[in-house]
Amino acid sequence: MDEKFDCIIVGAGVAGLAAAMTLARNNMKFLLIEKGEFPGSKNVSGGVLWGNDLAKLVPNYWEEDAGWDRFINQRRLTFMDNQSSFSIDFKSSHFNEPPYTGVVVLRSKFDRWLADKVQQAIDESDYAMDSFIAPNILVEEVLEEDGKVKGIRTGDEKFYSDSVILAEGVNNLLTRQVGLQDKYVPADHMLTGIKEIIRFDQDVLENRFQLNGKSGMSNEFVGFATDGVEGGGFLYTNKDTLSLGLVLGLKDLREKGKKPYDILNTFKKHPVIADTIRGGEVVEYSAHVVSSGDKRVMPEKLYKPGLVVCGEAANLLMNAGKAIQGMDYAMRSGILAGEAITEAKKNQDFGESSMKAYENNLRNSYVMQDINNFQDAVHLLHDPVMTQKMPNLICDFGRNFFSIKNEPTKKAREMLKDSVKKHASYWDLIKVGAKGAKAL
Amino acid sequence: MKLLTLQEQLGLVSYRNQAKSDIKPHIRVDTEICNSTCPHKCTTYVCPANCYTMDEKGKVHFQVEDCIECGTCMYACDQGAVTWEFPDPEIGRGVTWNYG
Repeated sequence: MDEKFDCIIVGAGVAGLAAAMTLARNNMKFLLIEKGEFPGSKNVSGGVLWGNDLAKLVPNYWEEDAGWDRFINQRRLTFMDNQSSFSIDFKSSHFNEPPYTGVVVLRSKFDRWLADKVQQAIDESDYAMDSFIAPNILVEEVLEEDGKVKGIRTGDEKFYSDSVILAEGVNNLLTRQVGLQDKYVPADHMLTGIKEIIRFDQDVLENRFQLNGKSGMSNEFVGFATDGVEGGGFLYTNKDTLSLGLVLGLKDLREKGKKPYDILNTFKKHPVIADTIRGGEVVEYSAHVVSSGDKRVMPEKLYKPGLVVCGEAANLLMNAGKAIQGMDYAMRSGILAGEAITEAKKNQDFGESSMKAYENNLRNSYVMQDINNFQDAVHLLHDPVMTQKMPNLICDFGRNFFSIKNEPTKKAREMLKDSVKKHASYWDLIKVGAKGAKAL
Repeated sequence: MKLLTLQEQLGLVSYRNQAKSDIKPHIRVDTEICNSTCPHKCTTYVCPANCYTMDEKGKVHFQVEDCIECGTCMYACDQGAVTWEFPDPEIGRGVTWNYG
């Protein structure tokens, strides 16, 4: 192909599609390359896309009964020991109004739908016949000349462009190849996510979780869920399925010698989870690495002349306790990447400083502000006191507090003291309290 | 709910070009390293698809067929034994998620 594109985007996940949508709307000539047989076919996520950037890409997306599964109007955080669960649960009709604060998505369906929307935007642009979404192509190399990006290579074929957006996901081989990340990334701040999709009769699901229309629930788990391994669990309601899974610290998994699917089965046998998934049928088992949100794993720089890195290829993911965020970061960074490339085209300058504008905009956006502000919370959440001792302590207190024995009852303060003594120490609590105060 | 074995779980996964015989493995493992100097042989338990197995003599073996491209082994192996690529869509045995 002789023709040169303004931009080639590698990866049609949330970040790549958001970048493509932005480019199409700005009348840019681009190629979006996806290695899977359709956008989304290679992608796995826990399942909640937070925030309302989706409404910027697809205005009134909620009027369509496609792409997304449910909106979140109930949030639950559950502490677990081997027998019990103690939850903080918040549900509000306040969340029932679009644009929603979060929607549950299944990537094989959602990404494909979003790609159709991008194709519509391409069709309406000046380059309706010259911009493409190209699946089934594996990008093997980013082509560079004199320190400047000039395109990509797949097999024997080369495609040329003024710029490249890497949105290749967490296993960012090309980001490593161009030297923005070390060739080997150690397991220290990486986790393995494993997930089952469990199908129900839709009425059963809606009754069990008190869902109404397209409303849905998100539930995160701390403690017994991960069988002593750093990490946590999640459960999200889809249309007629549940997404149930775990994220497990890879280094800890290695050191503790445990198998992810054994831990998942132990989690499913927990009496509370067993009651929740009763009668369901597993229809898919999946796994994918995710980063922890620890900045130490991020590429030091997210750009070089003619190239920017966005989404999870830049390790933009974080769990600071309130929610596992990643797809919203991917979407925003993709939009910002698309804007930076548009600006570069306008100025006919794809050099270092033009690309740096992307990183600056990302740094000023909520994405990097949150990642920076909540680093302490990220570290705290990976502290074994938080993932093991605290959930045990909380559940022990709950068991005592909610048991009625027709005997003189201790005051709650006494019960709490007993539980602290049994499962942790005041020193643990002081440490966690001090770290927590700093993290909040 | 009946718990599934890993084999049953992997039976639910769809792979592209599954029947092709000329698969070029997208992951190459230098099992010489696993079987000589590696102190933990962690791939044999951290891999969510059990692509790495240990025989009765304690030797590590790798087969790519069930790989779901999650990336776990690429990070978990700190001994330099694992070389990772993505499967070629035309000849590989890549995973295709129905839900994802």
